[in-house]
Amino acid sequence: MAEIWALVVIVFYILVLVVPLLLGVAYLTYAERKVLGAMQLRQGPMTVGPYGLLQPIADGLKLFMKETVVPSGSNKFVFVLAPMLTFILALIGWAVIPFGPGLVLADINVGVLYLLAVSSLGVYGIIMAGWASNSRYAFLGALRSSAQMVSYEISIGLIIINVLLTAGSLNLTTIVESQRGLWYFIPHFPMFVIFFVSVLAETNRHPFDLPEDEATLVTGFNVEYSSMGFALFFLGEYANMILMSAICSVLFLGGWLPPFGIVPFTWIPGPIWLILKICFFLFAFIWARATLPRYRYDQLMRLGWKVFLPLSLFWVVLTAGVLVAFDLVPR
Amino acid sequence: MNAVQLLLFYILALVCTASAVMVIASRNPVHSVLYLILAFFNAAGLFVLIGAEFLAMVLVVVYVGAVAVLFLFVVMMLDINFVEMREGFLQYLPVGALVGIILLVELMLVGGSWALADRTEVAAAPATVVMVEPAAPVAVPPEGGETAVVARRVRAEEVTNTQMLGAVLYTEYFYLFQAAGAILLVAIVGAITLTLRERPATKRQDIGRQVRRRPFESVELRKVKPRAGI
Amino acid sequence: MDTASPVVLNLSSALPEVVLFLSGLVLLVVGALREGEGAKGLSPFAVLVLLVVAAMILGGGQTAMVSLGGHFIFDGFAAFTKVVILVAAALSLLLARDYLIDEKVDRFEFPLLVLFAALGMCMMVSANSFIALYMGLELQSLAIYVLAAFQRDTLRSSEAGLKYFVLGSLASGMLLYGCSLVYGFTGTLRFDTLAAGFAIQGERGIDLQIGALVGLTFVAAGLAFKMAAVPFHMWTPDVYEGAPTPVTAFMASAPKVAAIALTLRVLMQPFGEWTDEWRQIVVFISVASMILGAFAAIGQTNFKRLMAYSGIGHVGYALIGLAAGTAGGIYGVLIYLVIYVAMTLGTFACIMMMRRGGRYVETIGDLSGLSTRQPMMALALAVFMFSLAGIPPLAGFFGKLYVFMAAVDAGLVPLAVIGVVTSVVGAYYYLRIVKVMYFDEPTEAFDGPNGLGLRLVAAGTAVFTVAFILLPGPFLNAAQNAAAALMTTP
Repeated sequence: MAEIWALVVIVFYILVLVVPLLLGVAYLTYAERKVLGAMQLRQGPMTVGPYGLLQPIADGLKLFMKETVVPSGSNKFVFVLAPMLTFILALIGWAVIPFGPGLVLADINVGVLYLLAVSSLGVYGIIMAGWASNSRYAFLGALRSSAQMVSYEISIGLIIINVLLTAGSLNLTTIVESQRGLWYFIPHFPMFVIFFVSVLAETNRHPFDLPEDEATLVTGFNVEYSSMGFALFFLGEYANMILMSAICSVLFLGGWLPPFGIVPFTWIPGPIWLILKICFFLFAFIWARATLPRYRYDQLMRLGWKVFLPLSLFWVVLTAGVLVAFDLVPR
Repeated sequence: MNAVQLLLFYILALVCTASAVMVIASRNPVHSVLYLILAFFNAAGLFVLIGAEFLAMVLVVVYVGAVAVLFLFVVMMLDINFVEMREGFLQYLPVGALVGIILLVELMLVGGSWALADRTEVAAAPATVVMVEPAAPVAVPPEGGETAVVARRVRAEEVTNTQMLGAVLYTEYFYLFQAAGAILLVAIVGAITLTLRERPATKRQDIGRQVRRRPFESVELRKVKPRAGI
Repeated sequence: MDTASPVVLNLSSALPEVVLFLSGLVLLVVGALREGEGAKGLSPFAVLVLLVVAAMILGGGQTAMVSLGGHFIFDGFAAFTKVVILVAAALSLLLARDYLIDEKVDRFEFPLLVLFAALGMCMMVSANSFIALYMGLELQSLAIYVLAAFQRDTLRSSEAGLKYFVLGSLASGMLLYGCSLVYGFTGTLRFDTLAAGFAIQGERGIDLQIGALVGLTFVAAGLAFKMAAVPFHMWTPDVYEGAPTPVTAFMASAPKVAAIALTLRVLMQPFGEWTDEWRQIVVFISVASMILGAFAAIGQTNFKRLMAYSGIGHVGYALIGLAAGTAGGIYGVLIYLVIYVAMTLGTFACIMMMRRGGRYVETIGDLSGLSTRQPMMALALAVFMFSLAGIPPLAGFFGKLYVFMAAVDAGLVPLAVIGVVTSVVGAYYYLRIVKVMYFDEPTEAFDGPNGLGLRLVAAGTAVFTVAFILLPGPFLNAAQNAAAALMTTP
């Protein structure tokens, strides 16, 4: 009986986490259009609801009502599985993100590795979609995207090692707590920048959105998807953005910690700080989209392998050296 | 192990075994790789159940996240003709089955003798030699002792298994760790040696040169008279 | 955290390996930075490194020592075999220079891979645990797979590399399976722990666990593949023929020494207690290798193929000493290996002198009437052939003599008899080459002049082969010490 009760509690927690998250995803699309509009001196969506606030709901309904088309030459099972996988993977990463001391679904010892594992699985949704569609454009998009994601994962992993070395733990709560004096974006500033850029590539966002390059691939891996399949990919992409922003906040911006441990800042509760930080990164995502032109594929690969990889490797050596030399190794 | 864990174990083990079977049974190689990934995933779950969370995550990151992606890549691009591949299959079946049966019998013999040794010999004769790697150079067995060398003891509950692995990997297994590094280096050198072809005709982007270039080097301003051209 | 007891990371006993590894890295960086200059300057550097490391080992002490977490052992046996391996690798590199330039594959990766292969072999002979064994073996094999396919634009070389790789992976798999069985049944991977445990087991009269025996058999199979002994020799002729000739020379010399030395260590140290259990395996491999080496080589027309079968036969002879399982036997094996390496490298130097119109030829018919055109080369080759056949005053005879004597001492008279009989059969095809060179109609001469490296190696090994009878003293002593070191567990 106690076990069933525990199960109910867990399901309740998950719902508490997932429902606001999905709302957040919906309104992220709205925010993106509004911010882009503002940057391009337009107004963005304005017609549905006051200030267009109901636009995401209208979009969702529209996609939901459309016909689901499964191409006849496709591999049906994989074709249907792929968007679900993408979406689920974007959600399960949240299990280890701490919103405050103790405010975490699963406070596991290897939280960072768990996130790395989840993000490395993200590539499957795309590659399965591309292959199952049985379409050239989709397949090319999938190939591009998986090569890109695998490449940037390496530098992401190395950058995370820097944080781990400094914090001395793989547990995300401990990592946040160890930033109490100094957020890691200050000592690891170059890594912070590289990490954010790698995250852009990892989520296939601009300026690294080659997998869905409209001009050459007519939106790439999801070209054959319609209706809910497309919606799931879309939601998955945006949920992934939020997840990655949360990871950036936890690793470099002190998670739920306020910027200064003094009175006006400590009045605001931890989760709000985390959400503010996430919002900052999300804004940066959209900002990059509005500002930067798309990379060429060889430039993308060059950046990942020839610039980020050596740099982050060097930084690992430097971090380890400094920690050992000044006896700062965390116990 | 409580009931939930037991249930989880059976689910994971069942799915793991079933997908392992499907890896070799499925007709489509892409499906095989997908089943392989499922098997890895469930194996990672089993690792979590026994408390080896680090291994579980590394299994997912390395095998599922990197190795299997490359597998999938290759299999998807190869475009294998399945019918043709299956044609010659039956003629090798007898030989393959024979080898398989021999190996199976051997394993059973081995397993049988092991189980026998466990149950009877150990109980009857206290003379089984337990060999455990020492931290110090080989210790001389104590007189009449059952255990040749005594294991190093660790208070496991105080340390996470990530710390534990790190602590032995970079000390006791330092040599092997470095050796593995050397092997990987040779693998990289080999792959590049055998595949990299210098094509003199390709145009490479030299970003340093692009950045260094100044407007006056490439653009010339001329006064153009109307209707005259240059 | 009080987890690890202090483990001394004593690198001093592994200094040769460290030097090899670091120079390999230097070579890699320098080679990659200077684009388009190939191996120029780097090949001599690698030769120098190999010889310096060999000198370091010779000059250093030889007290037995287990270090690096118990996975590494340095003793007289390791020192002896390492010197042989390093010198063989250096000589192979000397041989390679002209060939690589002629065939337009003169790239800096060649000396680099040879260096890393040598490193792997040193790690093999210094292994004190099954993991260390596997690591060394894999490093060595991986480097040689690539070397075999080094002429990647020719079909033969690529095929050789691929074939070696596929079969080698299979052998590695068997080896690993064997290691895991041994580990599963004994609970340790370390050689010294195994030896100590088995010794106690032997005292108490407990038999070797059958699982460990099966494991040992698989390990032996994997090692037999690496040394190209009979049931696992199928790859040898094709790979030897297809691989670039200097690579074949290298493959036929140093890796064979390493694989046999490793087999000696595995069988004599951890499994020294169970000599009777593994002797039948070794005897079978030895007899089968000798017979196949003697008969299969008869029909060969390609010189490299012939050398492949000859090599298989010689592994068989060397293993006679191991089958004896005594200090005398080990001593015989070590001497045999040194002499074999010298003869093989010398022969391959001669094969690489067979160049006609800028192209390398490799059939035996191409040698006809060589004595009138190039008497020195014919003389050297004749010396090697007589020695390989085991004709008395030359080195090859002594190699065989010591292993046969050890076998007789150990009561393995039939084995020694088979050895003598197969030597007589084998002598036929070695002497046929001498006959072709001295009594057949002369054909077109080979291109001259040959490079300094080739001439140096050919002359040096020929002198060694002839003069072995005169000054074997210090050399035999060293082999004796090495054998004694293997017989005593540290």
